[in-house]
Amino acid sequence: MAEFAGLFVTSVLINNVVLNQFLGMCPFMGVSRKRSSALGMGIAVMFVIVVAALVTYGLYYWVLVPLQLEYMDLITFILVIASLVQLTEMFIKKTSPALYKSLGVYLPLITTNCVVLNVCLVNITSAYSFTQMLAYSIGTPLGFALVLYIFSAIRERLEISSVPKPFAGNPIAMIVAAIMAMAFSAFAGLV
Amino acid sequence: MNKVLLAILFFGALVAIYIVLFLLNKKTPLPEGCENLKADCEACHDIHCINNPGHGRHPES
Repeated sequence: MAEFAGLFVTSVLINNVVLNQFLGMCPFMGVSRKRSSALGMGIAVMFVIVVAALVTYGLYYWVLVPLQLEYMDLITFILVIASLVQLTEMFIKKTSPALYKSLGVYLPLITTNCVVLNVCLVNITSAYSFTQMLAYSIGTPLGFALVLYIFSAIRERLEISSVPKPFAGNPIAMIVAAIMAMAFSAFAGLV
Repeated sequence: MNKVLLAILFFGALVAIYIVLFLLNKKTPLPEGCENLKADCEACHDIHCINNPGHGRHPES
């Protein structure tokens, strides 16, 4: 349990995928202007990562390893993620129009989100056990969603504040991201 | 079985699954009120990306 909690806290706060590993920068900068968009994107990423991690983990150990096709992990994971996104989109379209209204537009964007592929690959390269894989696969997207939401809230406030013209827009957003990264590095003493 | 052939078959199966799911997803009708949903991604100015609000517009217009 302590191992699960440690890995979970590490992946959410200390080894944050955006602020520490600089992955998923495209949605971090692109879909963080409104809190509602950031929340939608965060939830969609969380859903896809957890499902993709479970599927790729099973596929690697039950199909690729017995067939000695481990070298095909990268191409397999890319195709699995792309297929999963299509399946998820179709499922949500059919079953929950309300959910599709809030998440639907973000689903195609997730196919190209490197965070998803990173989680699937790290689960394998770090030789995580099933529990460790679960902790990492839930913690990483949670950290992504948390940072995205905080960043969007700050950007909403920046929109109504007077920022010097040369810093307006993306430059001040990058400065905010840098300060957030420094603030999150303080969590390193937790575990 | 030849390992190279096995790898090609496996890859082909994955691609086939993706194509089938892509086509099924395209065929699935959009829920009511979701016909004109657009992501408000403004990270870059690449209008060829489907998530850019300017997607489909001619670059010079």
